[in-house]
Amino acid sequence: MNAAHIMTTGVITLQKEKTVKDAMKILIEKRIRQMPVVDNDNRIIGVLKARKLIQSVLPRYVADGLLKDVKFAPDLPKLHEKARELAGKNISDVMDKDFVKISPDAAVFEIAAIFVNAEKSVENIYVVDDKDRILGIISPWDMFKKIWDLNEK
Amino acid sequence: MNNHFLLASLVFVGVYGALIWDKFNRAVIALLGASVLVLLGVLNQEQAIHGVDFNTIGLLIGMMVIVAVCQRTGMFQYLAIKSAKVAKGDPWRLMVMLAVVTAFVSAFLDNVTTVLLMAPLTILFAEEMKIDFYPFLFVEIFASNIGGTATLIGDPPNIMIGSAAGLSFMDFVRNLTPPIIVIMAATLVPFYFIYGRKLKVADDVKQRIMAFNELDAIKDWALVRKCLAVLALVIGGFLFQRQLHLEPATIASLGAGVLLFLTGDDVHEISTKVEWTTIFFFTGLFIVVKGIEEVGLISMLAKGLMDITAGNKTVMVLSILWVSAIASAFIDNIPFVATMLPLIKEVGVQMGGSDAVLPLWWALSLGACLGGNGTMIGASANVIVAGISDRAGRPFNFIEYMKMAFPLMLISIIISTIYLYLVYL
Repeated sequence: MNAAHIMTTGVITLQKEKTVKDAMKILIEKRIRQMPVVDNDNRIIGVLKARKLIQSVLPRYVADGLLKDVKFAPDLPKLHEKARELAGKNISDVMDKDFVKISPDAAVFEIAAIFVNAEKSVENIYVVDDKDRILGIISPWDMFKKIWDLNEK
Repeated sequence: MNNHFLLASLVFVGVYGALIWDKFNRAVIALLGASVLVLLGVLNQEQAIHGVDFNTIGLLIGMMVIVAVCQRTGMFQYLAIKSAKVAKGDPWRLMVMLAVVTAFVSAFLDNVTTVLLMAPLTILFAEEMKIDFYPFLFVEIFASNIGGTATLIGDPPNIMIGSAAGLSFMDFVRNLTPPIIVIMAATLVPFYFIYGRKLKVADDVKQRIMAFNELDAIKDWALVRKCLAVLALVIGGFLFQRQLHLEPATIASLGAGVLLFLTGDDVHEISTKVEWTTIFFFTGLFIVVKGIEEVGLISMLAKGLMDITAGNKTVMVLSILWVSAIASAFIDNIPFVATMLPLIKEVGVQMGGSDAVLPLWWALSLGACLGGNGTMIGASANVIVAGISDRAGRPFNFIEYMKMAFPLMLISIIISTIYLYLVYL
């Protein structure tokens, strides 16, 4: 059992020249939660993640963790203004370059370990060929459902 | 012996040069310098260990532990928010209040911790009010360095001076707190004319500051009570240091121990909050200075100082003040002070009595601590604030900062000159 067996194919990707506004339109229409960003040769170069977008509308001293808990503060109007600034930005400026990619032959055991032990919490794992082109995507649920199925059988 | 003199001096100059070059970690430089002295046989291990002032080291570690625990309570944020609300959201009054709180907190906490607490909150206040936060951060740099000068524990040079000269917490309060209050007030005057009087905001903007809730800053009331009790114990211990016959290191270590006992905190995690690189830096530096002391370079320098000034105390006090101030504006004041400690002690011996050099200690403290305000790289707090401001979208420019900061620093040194002259000379 390996990555190729459990991945979801037909992943919607985004060209790196697109703006945040374009990306948000697709995200909302297609009801997807994160989107890989590809270059002109269709190679994955980053992932557009909600957490990263939220980070970029927050003031840096909060995003950097200097001020972690702001329960004592009133709302900050600046957040909406920052979101407006963000709309015209290039996807490649706001994408997260930190993502996990894996070959289609990777074993389920290996993938399961990545979900639990990776440095940062991994939302999805991208399955790529030897030229970094996306073949599919594996979510933690895909992973666990597969293990569950095996148990049921 | 002559060989040793040369070797110790070379290592000393090498360490200083490497620190100014600023390419490698300062703790690594100091420890390497210290090890080389022992390897070359200039100092034996016994002498090297003897050069380390464990009173300074113990006090630093003890206070770092106490601060690491107390920081988690949110009580310093509480204090800052409360003061902003006392200012009722008026920008100039807010600036004054934040400066006063920064100076006050910095008198008990180290300057870097103080600005790390104050700067993000200050930017948030300014952003809520939609005004430029630069002047606020600028004044906080000054307040942290000025406030730190007021007490024995406010700034590392004072800790070192107190320990080397055997001066108590109360000695510092009596001799340095009064001029520091005057200097803080005098520093605010130019800020009023340059920034303060132009800062006007609408009433609804002021309301945004009043909407902060300081009680929400407190995360754990039980922890606040424990921290306040231990802080009271430690400050009380410092105030009655003479009567108790205890060194500050003992009092701070006791406070740290009691606090860790009361909170049951994970000691391993708290110990990661102690700035070990600073501790290693001090340790190495003390040994490097011990090297030039053992070989007689310090007494030569002391004699030189006596000769140049013809033993005139006024000239000596004022030259120490001004040289420390100008030097500290450009280089780290710690190695400078570490070198001056044995030098002033030696001058004391040559002048016949440690009482004679008392004003020299105050001059060294005022010069070394206040001088750091002069440039962006003069003190660690400056560098930290500049970094935070930079990332918040308002970079600190070296020249722009210096144009205003250097004259302001000179004002504080002129006030110190007048104070030292009137009171001690």
